[in-house]
Amino acid sequence: MNKIIIVNDEITEKDLDNSISVTYSGNEFLSEIKIDILSDTDLTINYISTEETKLHLCFNILEGVKCNLFEIKNGLKYKLGYIYNLDKDSKINICKINDINIIKEQLIFNLNGEFAETNYLLKTISDKKEKYDLMVYHNASKTISNIINNGVNVLDGKLSFVVSGFVPNGKVDCVLDQKNRIINLTNKKCEIKPNLFIDENDVIANHSAHIGKCNEEEMFYLMSRGIEPKEAENLIIRGFLLNGLKQGQNEMENIINKYWR
Amino acid sequence: MTNLKIKNLTVTVNNKEILKDFNLEIRPGEIHVIMGPNGTGKSTLTKIIMGDPNYKIVKGEIYYGDTLINDLAVYERARLGIFLGMQMPMEIEGVSNADFLRTALRSKNENFKLYSFIKELDKTVTDLKMGKDMIHRGINEGFSGGERKKNEILQMHILKPSFVMLDEIDSGLDVDSLKIVGESVMDYFNEEKPAILLVTHYQRLLDYIKPDFVHVMADGKIIKSADASLVKVIEEEGFDKIKKSSTSVIKENE
Ligand SMILES: Nc1ncnc2c1ncn2[C@@H]1O[C@H](COP(=O)(O)OP(=O)(O)OP(=O)(O)O)[C@@H](O)[C@H]1O
Ligand SMILES: [Mg+2]
Repeated sequence: MNKIIIVNDEITEKDLDNSISVTYSGNEFLSEIKIDILSDTDLTINYISTEETKLHLCFNILEGVKCNLFEIKNGLKYKLGYIYNLDKDSKINICKINDINIIKEQLIFNLNGEFAETNYLLKTISDKKEKYDLMVYHNASKTISNIINNGVNVLDGKLSFVVSGFVPNGKVDCVLDQKNRIINLTNKKCEIKPNLFIDENDVIANHSAHIGKCNEEEMFYLMSRGIEPKEAENLIIRGFLLNGLKQGQNEMENIINKYWR
Repeated sequence: MTNLKIKNLTVTVNNKEILKDFNLEIRPGEIHVIMGPNGTGKSTLTKIIMGDPNYKIVKGEIYYGDTLINDLAVYERARLGIFLGMQMPMEIEGVSNADFLRTALRSKNENFKLYSFIKELDKTVTDLKMGKDMIHRGINEGFSGGERKKNEILQMHILKPSFVMLDEIDSGLDVDSLKIVGESVMDYFNEEKPAILLVTHYQRLLDYIKPDFVHVMADGKIIKSADASLVKVIEEEGFDKIKKSSTSVIKENE
């Protein structure tokens, strides 16, 4: 299993086979890590920050290559920029769990070749300030993007998802799907801004955005079986955060247990 | 004896009166069926007994045994033994059926035994001819209409309520599933002797579940009560005729 550990802005550990090539470049202002995915592979990246961390990462997924990327972040404060470049017929499944105080992430997806596909899933518990800005560029026909952002906002949390999808004229048969949901357990303000900039008729686009407390009908159903309100809420939140995770369930459980138990 | 007793109950939703001066009493070991046109308040009746906060009692009382439950929280009613198999069971993503049932059982039963829970769950799933994987899937997640109804019956068996309400448990079931569910409810009835309140539109469920009383509800009230033979009259004559011929509640529960 390929694995990279990044402490603050430096790679401290690397265990990779020849499906992945990593180059590090940086100056005193900004560190940049370039990751080329050369053949079908799985990759796990652990991030740890002990100080304010600024970092750029660029992923290039070569033609015909499929990659499952699992990321988990712990720590204090991040400012991260991601670029994913996808060639023809390539695919990246990204699953992210964030357990940090403050974060600002900007993600750019370039779906450059036909049939390029990305499936993106984020799970986070926000207790201070988290902002995610995703831009998905469908630069070729028949490209696919599925974006899911799931967050639970607690304590002093402020959580924001801005997700924009772009399809220029002439890039036909693209599929865009975004589902953003925040369960906000505070009175603080959270925001979701879904944007679809579509200049082409021949496209399938869906988006859903939802911010709120736990769903009342779901609460009623659970309580009607004798479960107390607090416990019903815990079940729903646990289910929400674990749902769809193909990897990292244990890590997610541990994070959930820090907040609820 | 734990009777469910509803006295002069008037209920509103969104300021619209749905139940009007409603009266009904159900004793343990009795099976009651409520039939009636769409939108007359049958589901509302079951929801107000369960304590759904969307429905408001403006007048009247609901007793379970000696306990006035008007103001009890939903989970407290459930812990008294009240159960509602819903017309449209919710889908809750990510919360597995097994976790959900374990949590529910633990919260009402201090000497919860994991082993016997798993055994009973397994047996009931087999009896209901549900897929084994359904225990570990999210609550009703991706379940078909019929599977959801079976899941309600599964929960009834596990939680062992003393007052069971089943709201259109037969809708969405194919003929074989209807038989399985009908017989399963009857098995439960024979084992635990609960009080049962069924809401249905069709006689076919009553091929398996034999009611002691059949009530016709219209405009928020029971307009006619009789024994099981009333079902045939309804099928033949329809509600309109019964509505015209009836003046008020016939069966007196006191
Ligand atoms: N939450 C709600 N908000 C607004 N109106 C409601 C609500 N719940 C019920 N109603 C209204 O109350 C009336 C009774 O509804 P109810 O669901 O109890 O009918 P029902 O007898 O169960 O009908 P059906 O046979 O179609 O299931 C209907 O007119 C319905 O629209
Ligand atoms: Mg109904």
